[in-house]
Amino acid sequence: MNSQRSIIAASGCLCACGTTKEKCFEGALSGSARFCLPSHRVQSAYTDRYPVFLVEDSYVQSCPSKQSLSLHFFLTAAREAFQEAGIDLAVLQRRRVGVLVGTSVDASFHCLQVYQNWRRSTPLPTDAAELAHYFNSSTAQAVSRYFGFTGPFQTIVTACASGTDAIGLADSWIKQGICDAVLCGGTDEINLIPYDGFIRLLIASKERCRPFSKDRNGINIGEGAAALLLVSPALAKEQAWKAQGYVLGYGNSCDGYHPTAPDPTAKGLKKAILQALQEAQLSSNQLAFVNAHGTASQANDAAEAVAFNELLPQVPVWGSKGVTGHTLGAAGAVEAVLTLQALNHHLVPATTGFQLQDEQIGFSPTLKNISIQNRAAVSTSLAFGGCNAALILGAENYYD
Amino acid sequence: MIKFYINGFSAFSGDVSLEQFTPYVETRRLRRMETMAKNALFCSYQALEQAALPLHEPKNMALSVAVGAGSLENTCKFMDSILDDGDELSSPTAFAGSVHNSTGLVLSLFLHTSGPCITTGQFEASFPAALLTAISFLHKGACEQALVVVAEDINGVAQTYAPLQPQLFTNLLRNPQGPFIRATASFVIGTKPLGNNPFAVNRVEFTRTEQDSNAEYGKESAFTALETVRLLKKGQAFILEDSFGGAQFTLEATAYVKP
Repeated sequence: MNSQRSIIAASGCLCACGTTKEKCFEGALSGSARFCLPSHRVQSAYTDRYPVFLVEDSYVQSCPSKQSLSLHFFLTAAREAFQEAGIDLAVLQRRRVGVLVGTSVDASFHCLQVYQNWRRSTPLPTDAAELAHYFNSSTAQAVSRYFGFTGPFQTIVTACASGTDAIGLADSWIKQGICDAVLCGGTDEINLIPYDGFIRLLIASKERCRPFSKDRNGINIGEGAAALLLVSPALAKEQAWKAQGYVLGYGNSCDGYHPTAPDPTAKGLKKAILQALQEAQLSSNQLAFVNAHGTASQANDAAEAVAFNELLPQVPVWGSKGVTGHTLGAAGAVEAVLTLQALNHHLVPATTGFQLQDEQIGFSPTLKNISIQNRAAVSTSLAFGGCNAALILGAENYYD
Repeated sequence: MIKFYINGFSAFSGDVSLEQFTPYVETRRLRRMETMAKNALFCSYQALEQAALPLHEPKNMALSVAVGAGSLENTCKFMDSILDDGDELSSPTAFAGSVHNSTGLVLSLFLHTSGPCITTGQFEASFPAALLTAISFLHKGACEQALVVVAEDINGVAQTYAPLQPQLFTNLLRNPQGPFIRATASFVIGTKPLGNNPFAVNRVEFTRTEQDSNAEYGKESAFTALETVRLLKKGQAFILEDSFGGAQFTLEATAYVKP
């Protein structure tokens, strides 16, 4: 075993298909999730037509007034992770522990009311909750402060690949010896700006999304968070923390192609997958499945299919956004935790929403829950700006 | 930490003019580009030139972009379109440009890079984290050179709120001599020394502290990225120790002498 390899010692998840990682996986297996119109959360002319995937309202209502919802979601997932794994925070507070969080909404100036007031030259509501959330929304720093960690912190805003990048870079911090442990993941909340924005880009669907399906017609925005604690082998051994899994490889590349569409040749995505495979020292036939970005947009799914057909033939493809929605900056992290759950349960869920095979795609994603033998899987993410990321995770028994 | 070198650097306050791009690119290609991205691109051309790297050839270079508040120009344009024209006529172009990673796309398109690309957005603490990211990609062997770009936007709403909420914007914007203005910095780092005046980096540390952001506002030496460029321009060994916004950053470098 590579002595520098990061161990996943804890993980937690909260999204539309569950409020813990186990419930999320149960939701993925059953295809059930909270999919509804968001009129009680977002004020837009579209809220009677474009549904989204939402976290249970009780988790929204329990958000402390001084926290953004995204921060609240992430802390909820992190607390679940620590509690379930029996991690003593006091141990972490004495060590070099970093925080890496991917997000989009939480790091953006999406303060419409504040901005409207400014345009009208009305008195500045500097104490307005909306603005206060933004000022305190250096997400990773807020998480670090909350748990009392003192290592480096980084809020990654590489759009929809942010969550995957956070985990990949956390692995690098461990391998470089910068940190003994890194709390990483992603978080995002429903917000008017991306909600309107994706609809206006004509890539949002009025129906439940259908990843890789011939009749796919767009994405559904979602919200949620996932947190993973990566630790060095030395710390895991010292504390007798059990491995829930391993980060085996990470690749990243940019297309330099288009602001919002992936390169249809998937050149960049293939490069990211190959980097991850090389780092993991694995070949494609050793992968149990691929958890695809699978947004159900025409362009995304077609580009991913090009890469999968060439590099990962015969590897089952699972698209999970039919139960989570597209959780933007959280997506890569949510999907990493679901991937880990699938590996550890030896079971890959069906791709909820898929209906008809597309000849251009050339394959059908998982049609039912299937058993798996291999102990590693790859999760891919594609982002606005042409960024691609691939993360290979190993099951808890990867080295047995 | 992997041994690495700063092979090129550039920084400026204010905005670049289209004429300044003449040696690098046809200016008609920049017509619709937002100001923040133009500044980042110009600064990066200069840093690449200093590092003696080709400007117009494909390269497997990593991009690590640090933004504070991101593209306020496009974010506010999108909000303008919602407020003025309604949700159903809001501008998809402005929305696409408002995404933090849009500057990374401009850089990858114009500089012909296909390596990793990550954007970091955490106000004043973006630059140290972005530097760590670039170092991580060098350490992984994903590339031999990485471009670290600090790009910040400023507009009317930011100029109004920044003095009231100084933790909103990067230290780069804290111009003690005058009003808040845009500022940009670029660094080419690599595993081998390149160009005419590379620096060997001996130490990079970035940690969180319990200090409060507001209490540190007004610290004149807090322009972390600009300060780094100022020290590099002196051509001598230096240790930059900066404390800001609940974080501590240390960078130690020595002018590289060819053996």
